[in-house]
Amino acid sequence: MNPSDSDASRFRSTSTDRRGERDLDDLLVHVARGDQVAFEAIYDRLAGPVYGVIRRVLRDPSQSEEVAQEVLLEVWRNAARFDPAMGGAATWVLTIAHRRAIDRVRASTAAAEREQRNADIHTPRDEVAEAVEASLDRERVRRCLDALTEIQRESITLAYYGGYSYRQVADLLSVTLGAIKTRIRDGLIRMRDCLGVS
Amino acid sequence: MRLLRHDLHALTGAYALDAIDRGAERERFTRHMNGCPSCASEVRGFREVGTAMAFAAALEPPPAMRAEVLAAVARTRQLPPEIKTHARPRRTRTWVPWLSGAIATAGIVVAVLFGFAQAHTQTELNQARAQNQGLAAIEARSLAELDRARNQNQLLAAIMAAPHVRVLSQRSTRGGVAVVLLASVRHQLIVTTSGLPALPAGKVYQLWLIGKTRIVSKGLLPPARSGQTAPVVASGLVAGDKLGLTVEPAPGTKQPTMTPIIALPV
Repeated sequence: MNPSDSDASRFRSTSTDRRGERDLDDLLVHVARGDQVAFEAIYDRLAGPVYGVIRRVLRDPSQSEEVAQEVLLEVWRNAARFDPAMGGAATWVLTIAHRRAIDRVRASTAAAEREQRNADIHTPRDEVAEAVEASLDRERVRRCLDALTEIQRESITLAYYGGYSYRQVADLLSVTLGAIKTRIRDGLIRMRDCLGVS
Repeated sequence: MRLLRHDLHALTGAYALDAIDRGAERERFTRHMNGCPSCASEVRGFREVGTAMAFAAALEPPPAMRAEVLAAVARTRQLPPEIKTHARPRRTRTWVPWLSGAIATAGIVVAVLFGFAQAHTQTELNQARAQNQGLAAIEARSLAELDRARNQNQLLAAIMAAPHVRVLSQRSTRGGVAVVLLASVRHQLIVTTSGLPALPAGKVYQLWLIGKTRIVSKGLLPPARSGQTAPVVASGLVAGDKLGLTVEPAPGTKQPTMTPIIALPV
């Protein structure tokens, strides 16, 4: 029997809290010491959201796959620099994923093509509904987005899923820069409270 | 224009969603956050909202991706932890993981580039010494080689020290990968490659800057050693350029004769 099988099961213990954040933190500590089995467990838990959020921003499947691979490799390389005091492992990984997707959007001339493809901006609710995997997270996020004002919801969705800068969002929604900053922040405060994150 | 403090604070949301463009505004906010524990903690909470939104968008990745990532992991060296020399209060530390990620990536590239330059110089020297038998001419030649390598090192160092350096990479359509260190403020970049297929005699890899109105040759890739090519510096970048790589008849052509096997927007 392959000894790594039992190793793998070692990391499939029950979650200790929401999405098993603490589990993931532990896994990342093992990854930092070069444990490839722990990395596989991280992959199995986070590759879906990593790929999903990148895909949402970039749209193009092959570019998204490329960026997702870079992000996951970066997680492996930089695991020793993860600091649990600064936030959970999932947030660390998904922050990198979102940032890399944004970097790709802003760096590439594909931005122009992408804007062409997105010329008609879909309503945020459709965006959320597009997700293929039904999940509790999806329901929760949708419920909390629904509780926002329209401007709050649209600005957060355009910024996070659409990959637009707040200046572009202000332009798209014909709102002043000062107002859009406030709407995004107020909306996120409500989202944070609704989702029950710290 | 100076921003009022409370205006900066209002940027926590945009910052957490990566919705502030790179540049002066983001740097100003990052500096502000360094001394603003409540901003840092707010950003942390907002990032968790982002995490929930990412989970809500989860998609099954392409099936082949898992094996590819795990194979890449198996052959990739990890970075050591950062040793913190100054103990600073935790709560005032800025939380900028993507930045440390970028710096870490740049660190790898730097290590590779310098390792390359040094190995190269060392080999040249050893070769020169081996043939040498004390001939002054050969010593002089190897010193010139060393000088050239030193100048190249200084140029590489200057580019890498430029503000807002970014690391990009792209796989070629024929296999192998190009890694580019981009210093937009200097309009320069450094290209290294690994794993490009070996070319038949009489063929070379040629680099191009491809813009909307012009295509400029940026020279040839040097021959690969152990599958990697030494760093090449390209100057004269213009916004909207792509870095292109083609296979051309030696000693290179004035304009590309084929579709680039790499076309990386820089």
